[in-house]
Amino acid sequence: MKKSFTAVLAVSLVFMVAAMGYSADVKKGIHIGDAGAFTGDAAAPCMEIYNSAQIAVDEWNARGGIQGVKIEHIMGDDAMDPAQGINVAHKFVADELMYGVIGPPMSHIAQATLKIYASADMAQITTSASKPDLTEQGYHNFFRVNARNDAHGWNCALFIKKQLMAKRVAIVNEKVAYCENLAKETINGLKKLGITDIAQETIVGGAKDYSAVLTKVKAFKPDVIFFIATTAPDNAIGVRQTKELGIDAIFFGSEGARDKKDYIQATEGAAEGSYVYHFAPDVFAIPEAANYVETFEAKYGSISGFGPPAYEAMNILLTAVDKAAADGDITRQEVVKYLHETKNYKGILGFPVTFDQKGDLEGGATYFFQVSGNDFKQVAVMTGK
Amino acid sequence: MELYLEQLPQQLVNGLTLGGVYALIAIGYTMVYGILGMLNFAHGEVYMIGGFAGWWVLHLLTRGNELLANAAMVIALMIIAAMAVSGLVGIMAERFAYRPLRNAPRMNLLLSALGVSIFLQNLVLNYQGAKVRSFHIAALIPESLRVIQIGSAVFSFMRILVIVLSFLLMGLLTVMIKKTKVGKAIRATAQDIEAAAFMGIDVDRIVVVVFLIGSALGGAAGTLVGLLFTQVDYYVGFQAGLKGFTAAVLGGIGSVYGAMLGGILLGLTESLAVTFFPSAYKDVVAFAILIIVLIFRPWGLVGEKIPEKV
Repeated sequence: MKKSFTAVLAVSLVFMVAAMGYSADVKKGIHIGDAGAFTGDAAAPCMEIYNSAQIAVDEWNARGGIQGVKIEHIMGDDAMDPAQGINVAHKFVADELMYGVIGPPMSHIAQATLKIYASADMAQITTSASKPDLTEQGYHNFFRVNARNDAHGWNCALFIKKQLMAKRVAIVNEKVAYCENLAKETINGLKKLGITDIAQETIVGGAKDYSAVLTKVKAFKPDVIFFIATTAPDNAIGVRQTKELGIDAIFFGSEGARDKKDYIQATEGAAEGSYVYHFAPDVFAIPEAANYVETFEAKYGSISGFGPPAYEAMNILLTAVDKAAADGDITRQEVVKYLHETKNYKGILGFPVTFDQKGDLEGGATYFFQVSGNDFKQVAVMTGK
Repeated sequence: MELYLEQLPQQLVNGLTLGGVYALIAIGYTMVYGILGMLNFAHGEVYMIGGFAGWWVLHLLTRGNELLANAAMVIALMIIAAMAVSGLVGIMAERFAYRPLRNAPRMNLLLSALGVSIFLQNLVLNYQGAKVRSFHIAALIPESLRVIQIGSAVFSFMRILVIVLSFLLMGLLTVMIKKTKVGKAIRATAQDIEAAAFMGIDVDRIVVVVFLIGSALGGAAGTLVGLLFTQVDYYVGFQAGLKGFTAAVLGGIGSVYGAMLGGILLGLTESLAVTFFPSAYKDVVAFAILIIVLIFRPWGLVGEKIPEKV
């Protein structure tokens, strides 16, 4: 009897400590983490994410921060390696003043770190991880401001069928979670639309030579090559070698390719006329984004498409932290709770952000661009129809 | 079947270019192993630095889309600069990281090489950044020469250049090793470093020469790949080093001709594997072949069966 009483006491003590955990006075400081691949092949888009989030933080701080406390934006570099992503997650979770994290932007890293962040109730908003599974595993703390791969895959299939009028489609994808998943969803979509002449091949990212795979694709004689690789440099090599091998097909690249310097300029003309899809619209056409665009270009140079969602995500996260801090102290649970209540947030993305039960964006759209001269021209928007 | 035949000529071209590059990298591994019995894991980084050196020459000699010098001269300068810089890096690594450990256990040398590899990679990351550098090669080749079609195979100018240059460099090396006095000294040192020293060969100098040649060829490969695939970044050395090392082992580590053969075979195997198997199995097929070769010929294709020294 006495023994079980002690046990109950011990267990309830543990629970109490756990429930109390991470509640802190706002005055101690507010840290927001930013996890991403700030070095390596994806450094360019990830730095754009970081810098855009920094602009949002600067604006909040210029307005006096939260309850007079300046927000600190902390970088955690995973170098696109899940093992290092896990280190970053542990570091962030151990920081008692950290109330939320932007990222990770890549699905395979997000997948590897989900559990760590979830067990510490750390709110996360990713700005580009699109693997559907991420929000299907019952974690309450994970949100995204971008559409999921199943939405993108279906939209890309619609685009290939309706706009590119293709009958034979070759899909070349990198062997990582996001690319494999998008390839699968696109193939499912194409089959639903009655396109069955599909060839799928895979590449290893960063290998710099895809000519053997593309030679095989050439023999298949496709109308469209949908090239799904994470980074702009890999897409650039894809389109260059497609042209070099004289493959007479429309080149359709993936979202990472929406990068003027590393895709259009790097290919020296080979990318002309090729298409890419992206989860973010043309930010230059949205009046609300004008200020952000101006600040970013003045400070950090040109914007591809990865920055705007990060600026938006940071603002949404800080709004939740602000609400949580209203009573003088913050807990991570409160931040997660307020994020779930985000409804019709109007920022710079051109559509209101509402999170559904799972943390997904309601009504995901996919935007399509064509390379024309030294720029991307938006040619279509698909919303599942 | 027709589908395969149609691809075959092109895949041979693809494989041969890739193989030429692998061979150049493998030579660096094999020469150093032949003499010191160590695996120079920093060799992949030396290759990467060669790529950067070439990129800088091209970058400095290009204004907008115009070249400041004759295209052939620019390419020659790129390769010479890459060989010089990489050769220097190789010599420095030998002098400061390997020579002090010459008589230490092999494991120490191996660790030292790993350290040099990490050091060089981070050095480049620090000073050059993580962004991928693109080679702007459009100005180097006139439009009419860029692509040459023979049957169903397409030869790009750069591919021909890479094949010709890598075979030329390998040829020069062969002549040097076979015909010159230094070559003879290298062969003697590789056979027995102590005996060579007794015969009056300055072994330290030979080791430096070997590092110079091996690293310079690796650097040349870095620039050739840059011209061919148009990109270089601080991380390319890892994969290239792995492939070069594999090629060296396949051919028989320690044997220069084995490295050449191993490189070309590995390149061809990879291309042909894609043709006949799903592309996801490219590396599986290539490495399965490596394992099979090593089961039946543990000393590699060309390497000699050397009895263990007691």
